[in-house]
Amino acid sequence: MNFDFTPVWDNIPTLLTGTGYTLLIALFAAIISLVGGLAVSLTTLYGKKVFSYPLRCFIWLFMGTPLLLQLYLLYFGLGQVGILIPALLTGILGLGIHYMAYNADIFRATILSIEKGQTEAARSLGFGRMQTLWFFIVPQAIFRALPQLGNNMIIMLKDTSVLSVIGVTELVLNAQFEIANTFRPFEFYISVAVIYYFLNLILETSLNRFEKKLEDRR
Amino acid sequence: MVVPPEVSKNKSADLMLDIINVKKAFDDLEVLKGIDLQVTRGQIVSIIGSSGSGKSTLLRSINHLETIDAGEIWLDGVRVNQPGLKGMEFERHINSVRQNMGMVFQQFNLFPHLSTLDNVRLAPIKLKGMDKRVATDYCMELLAKVGLEDKAETFPSNLSGGQKQRAAIARALAMQPKVMLFDEATSALDPELVEEVNLVMKQLAREHMTMLIVTHEMSFASEVSDHVLFMDQGVVCEQGPPDQIFSNPKEERTRVFLKKHLQQN
Repeated sequence: MNFDFTPVWDNIPTLLTGTGYTLLIALFAAIISLVGGLAVSLTTLYGKKVFSYPLRCFIWLFMGTPLLLQLYLLYFGLGQVGILIPALLTGILGLGIHYMAYNADIFRATILSIEKGQTEAARSLGFGRMQTLWFFIVPQAIFRALPQLGNNMIIMLKDTSVLSVIGVTELVLNAQFEIANTFRPFEFYISVAVIYYFLNLILETSLNRFEKKLEDRR
Repeated sequence: MVVPPEVSKNKSADLMLDIINVKKAFDDLEVLKGIDLQVTRGQIVSIIGSSGSGKSTLLRSINHLETIDAGEIWLDGVRVNQPGLKGMEFERHINSVRQNMGMVFQQFNLFPHLSTLDNVRLAPIKLKGMDKRVATDYCMELLAKVGLEDKAETFPSNLSGGQKQRAAIARALAMQPKVMLFDEATSALDPELVEEVNLVMKQLAREHMTMLIVTHEMSFASEVSDHVLFMDQGVVCEQGPPDQIFSNPKEERTRVFLKKHLQQN
């Protein structure tokens, strides 16, 4: 067996473009999943039943079915009935909504974990229900959720690779293009694995640093 | 329709808190069985009694952290448990009433994600619309008053228990309340930290702050209060000036309680 990494090196621009797409998708999906997750958790906890019940069903649906299937349904299923969303957008939305369900669950748990005394202290000062949530409960819940949210974001970064199945030119699909040209699957897949590994290493160390910074606020 | 706030009649202008026949039950357990209490402006009233006597529930009922089943609570001529207000109307009413009452909790309940200064100044900024710089100066004065001016930027997790409680008192004072409610403010503190909190409370007493103090510390109660209430099983068993309650109690139950308390300490 002899391995030759020169084809990988020669095609590094394609891989870097793919990495760029991967990061772009992860960033936007992360924003959707975090902001949406918080909104969903607040609605299911404090919203009117007309909103909170359907939202809870939505969470169960997205947590109970595979991401791959959800992407197929969003892209090919909706395409069949004439709703055509570009693959990149479908991927960002699908991934974002999938992880929104998980993040909503985390936010729900940490919001409920904030001591009753915090609410009582805020209310006794004269803060209203919404103000109490916004100034005191939600910030603390976010701090408490950070480790788990970080884990989710790391898993999500890896799951961007699933988007290759609907033709999003992220890292894996771009590597596959070059594999078809060079017949060097092992070298390319190993290289891609290394790239993912380093991306997540950077993500994890910066998350850890961020958590440390906020430690004495908890 | 906006219901005009009910205004008390025939009450002396000096009456700050008026509690009339307040009743409260948790399921089948009657915790308050018709409590009456009048607190005049600048008066310091201590409430003593064994745990389960209803003293904390009474204090929490005054600013509506507990909803009472019957009776009336008046703060400076405004009824706290205003009847006829529903939903958002009541919410607005109770929020404005609470701005006039400072509450200090046994477990401090400082906001851990905010610095000491932010703990104190957030309420006047957000609720009273105070200018941030004005609020900062004012709240730094309050922190200096409780001896924490050098801890303004510190987060609560780095404060000692006594410092936390002093910060919590400053936070309550920042809203310039008409009454301060202390719910066993020193019960969660190590013995050597109790005094620093007591000193702050004595300072407030000298400044004629109206105070309602639920406490287990008899010596502090007798030293600082104008009036002492002994509660037992949901009723006010005996009340009067501290000399009478502590040196010459009339009721047998008061005597038994004080004797037990002396033995424990």
